[in-house]
Amino acid sequence: MTTVTDMAELARSSSLLEVPATVGALGDIAAFVLRLAGRAGLGKGATYRIRLAVDELATNIVMHGYRCGDGRITVRGRSGPGGVQITIEDAAPAFDPVEGRLPPAPGVPPEDRRIGGLGIHLALTSVDEFSYAHRDGRNISTLTVKAEETDRCPPRP
Amino acid sequence: MPLSVSLSIEGDTTVIELTGELDAKTAPDFHQTIEKAAGHGTSTVEIRMAGVGYMASAGLRSLVFAQQKVANNVTIKVVGAIEPVSRTIRTAGLDRSIVLSDE
Repeated sequence: MTTVTDMAELARSSSLLEVPATVGALGDIAAFVLRLAGRAGLGKGATYRIRLAVDELATNIVMHGYRCGDGRITVRGRSGPGGVQITIEDAAPAFDPVEGRLPPAPGVPPEDRRIGGLGIHLALTSVDEFSYAHRDGRNISTLTVKAEETDRCPPRP
Repeated sequence: MPLSVSLSIEGDTTVIELTGELDAKTAPDFHQTIEKAAGHGTSTVEIRMAGVGYMASAGLRSLVFAQQKVANNVTIKVVGAIEPVSRTIRTAGLDRSIVLSDE
């Protein structure tokens, strides 16, 4: 079984991207993640999941963290045969995605739900591992998707 | 990454065809088209998504917006979505009010 530690050992090189916190920069972040996924040889499903997760968290930082004001997002990535690990950092007000997630509520009609929290839920259910820290005034989220094709986000029964 | 959106009427169905990627950057184009489609007053709004290779929650928001804009008796169909896209729709529970169809 591959662990994050194994992956870190395999991934000697890391990549860094720093972009302004704008909707326009989301494409650059996606391209960065897709490159890492390609380098790791991730399958289509795992590639989709890591892209979706990073995109949702980055979109949330732009829209709700910095509230479309000035700011920067730093994305670090490591890839290896075991998978891809991405760290997203921002200096917006402290926000723990695990606290802010909003799983689909069975009793609430979809049209009445907060889709923003649902985006975070999508992100967290798309990755194999997630951690959050707030250090030196920065939000630091770390997402890992392993190379194995496991469906972490099964459809509602 | 770009999204192309087209709008047409086929009988009593308003057809929106999407090609490309549906995310926070491109979803506003889809929103605008939904507003136009809602004004047509057909009994079905069919959203053809076979050409959509990626959809983020911004796309879900657009689908919710579509539900809010059309009359209660209007059926919204999403046709041809690839598996990860339809899974995202199901994860959000939107498949209870939107018809998901392969063709």
